[in-house]
Amino acid sequence: MSAPAARRRVRRLNASMVVGGALVGLVVLAALVSFVWTPHDPVHVDPAHRLAPAFGGDYLLGTDKFGRDVLSRLMVGARTTLYVGIVAVGIAAVLGTPLGMLAGMVGGWSGELVMRANDLLFAFPALLLAIMLGAVFGASALTAMVAIGVATIPAFARVARGQTLSVMHTDYVLAARSAGRSRLAIALRHVLPNIASILIVQASVSFAIAILAEAALSFLGFGTRPPTPSWGRMLQESQELLFSTPRLAFWPGLAIALAVLGFNLLGDGLRDWLDPKLREGR
Amino acid sequence: MTRPLLRLVAGRATAVLATAVLATAAAGCSSGSGGSSGGSSVKSLSVGFVAEPSNLDFTTTDGVAIPQAMLVNVYEGLVKLDQDGKIVPLLAKSWDISDDRKTYTFHLQDNATFTNGKKFTADDVVFSLNRVKTDWKVSLKSAMDVVSSVEKKDDTTAVVTLAKPSNSWLYKMATRVGAMFSRDGIADLANTPVGTGPYKLESWKRGDAITLAASPNYWGTKPKLEKVVLKYFKDATAMNNALLTGGIDVISTVQAPESLQQFTNNSKYEVIEGTTTGEVVLSFNNSKAPLNDKRVRQAIRHAINHKTLVETAWAGRGQVIGGMVPPSDPWYEDLTGVTPYDPAKAKALLAEAGQSNLKLRLRIANLPYAVAAGQVVKSQLAEVGITADIEPLEFPARWLDVVFKQADYDMSIINHVEPRDLGALFGNPNYYLRYNNPKVQELLAKADAGPESDQIAAMKEAARLVSEDAAADFLFLFPNLIVAETGVTGLPKNLVSESFDLTVLAKAKG
Repeated sequence: MSAPAARRRVRRLNASMVVGGALVGLVVLAALVSFVWTPHDPVHVDPAHRLAPAFGGDYLLGTDKFGRDVLSRLMVGARTTLYVGIVAVGIAAVLGTPLGMLAGMVGGWSGELVMRANDLLFAFPALLLAIMLGAVFGASALTAMVAIGVATIPAFARVARGQTLSVMHTDYVLAARSAGRSRLAIALRHVLPNIASILIVQASVSFAIAILAEAALSFLGFGTRPPTPSWGRMLQESQELLFSTPRLAFWPGLAIALAVLGFNLLGDGLRDWLDPKLREGR
Repeated sequence: MTRPLLRLVAGRATAVLATAVLATAAAGCSSGSGGSSGGSSVKSLSVGFVAEPSNLDFTTTDGVAIPQAMLVNVYEGLVKLDQDGKIVPLLAKSWDISDDRKTYTFHLQDNATFTNGKKFTADDVVFSLNRVKTDWKVSLKSAMDVVSSVEKKDDTTAVVTLAKPSNSWLYKMATRVGAMFSRDGIADLANTPVGTGPYKLESWKRGDAITLAASPNYWGTKPKLEKVVLKYFKDATAMNNALLTGGIDVISTVQAPESLQQFTNNSKYEVIEGTTTGEVVLSFNNSKAPLNDKRVRQAIRHAINHKTLVETAWAGRGQVIGGMVPPSDPWYEDLTGVTPYDPAKAKALLAEAGQSNLKLRLRIANLPYAVAAGQVVKSQLAEVGITADIEPLEFPARWLDVVFKQADYDMSIINHVEPRDLGALFGNPNYYLRYNNPKVQELLAKADAGPESDQIAAMKEAARLVSEDAAADFLFLFPNLIVAETGVTGLPKNLVSESFDLTVLAKAKG
């Protein structure tokens, strides 16, 4: 790689990290502030102020059909979004990555076994899993997140295994193996850093899927309980007013889009930043 | 530096926004209905519904979706309800009632045939009515408990003898329990209905549509349409879009009342608004603390402002009734004054009952009206210091199991659609409301068995007692909201029976 190309790469990765970080930061900030302050009570039904317009009067972004402040609901909804995204993706990454690495490093029949079990889970509909867990442990936002997380394990395991297989054939891993380093050491020292970048991209994709899955589950009665706001629920509740009051769909839609964009850019930036090959070009 | 950044962000933003917009749109998109009929054809119409039956056998499966599609259209009874809720002849031309009101003699149509080719005779009446007691599995079959014998006098005369007089029995005969079956037509009720009705089942594409075709040998007035497609939607918005794009001709029940705007100011569509027999009930578990305390139940009723509830939750469509009787029944009485909105009184009653920081589980069906009304109820109860924890349960399976069968709930919200169901809800202590009031039971028995002239007064008294006792709260009467393409005729203003009568449906040539 020529030096100017590498330099351009370095600048670009900074940019996406900054923009992504800012967007994610905004979501985190909104969620944190909502714990101590929101403009209005996000769940209080106020018939006198239903469907109040945006940018006028007391309600910056207007109110929904129950007379609830949209901005307050967006802020509290940010909590749900982060909560769902982090727990679900966390479970999937923490369980899926080692499984995939194990399958990739060990190979043979035990590796096959792990991947076939993985396929089995992959074939199982996430929604059905959530409904099953909900029936057994009681429906709540947590069971929904766990279900989404468990259903996302195969995605991480597959990506991790594929990358691990290619890393295992690199010279430095072969060298480490011939030097007699333990498998665990090789996994932590060589394999994980080299597959981290692709896992981060996977995480940002899974995060977006988790937000949308939560919306679907809430609709079925297996996610966030009404009236607790979540962006997905807000989007769903705005459906019947799409023709008369489209802004009710616009705000949560924009929030989801920006959050997903933010995580996407941040993931991209982190990938470039973490990639050992690119770091050397600095 | 800025250019690559801009390109990167812009490109990514476009992609992500597009995804979000697509997701939003997909959520509100019609599922590409295959439906029928443009404006020029009047041979067939398609009608959109919300709940698809799991099978077509209402003798073993509960739920109003089956009789809605099958009764009157495919199966017929001896009598039926007209669109005003009056009992009118169907397979029986006429009937005589003995002076002691225990013997009903039905004079039958002599030219009716089942779709399997068999002639309809008094033998089928004996067979069908006896079968309710022996083979039916749904709780509604208790409507036939009062029958002591059914006999055939001749081919076109059947005599039913009741154990005691019953003012409600003939009315019940117009519901699904009075449906007439062929002796050779019950082998596969779940998939192959055999009735005497103007329509027969042509096809059923599960998850999509039921197609009914006009029966060529129908004994009575032939329907104007050759084909009716009952198209099922899981989502209210999808059904709206199907009407807008011509996939269906009629929305049988609007489940997203806020969306009506798009049809009301458009001459292409007609909106029909009337009443139903469906009471949206905030049910209480009357046998379980703290709701076994009348004062707590009354406090909850006083805490709810029903007028604003209907306005916020259901776009103001729906009537506040205050009791379990719809205005279309002869014993209707405005009971909204029994426990008026009065938060101060609600707080006082709670204090008197020694309840502070009351927490209640509100386990509702995950249906649009229940989720909307539940959030208003929760907010209004919070004003008087009651915390309601909303838990939507998947309907029908989960809700029926947890709330209806096990009665594992404190409060619930459900639309009780069956006509004249005051007795079913509050006369039976084993019903999920677990309401046991001997006085009410006595009044209900008296209304049914006593002289007909006393029926109205006794039913009124029972309904008032139930309301005063706050055995449940009655949120609102579910509206009959139908949207149809202009020119469709024969749609009911008020929905007073459990069947959706498709036999009079027609569309003028346009």
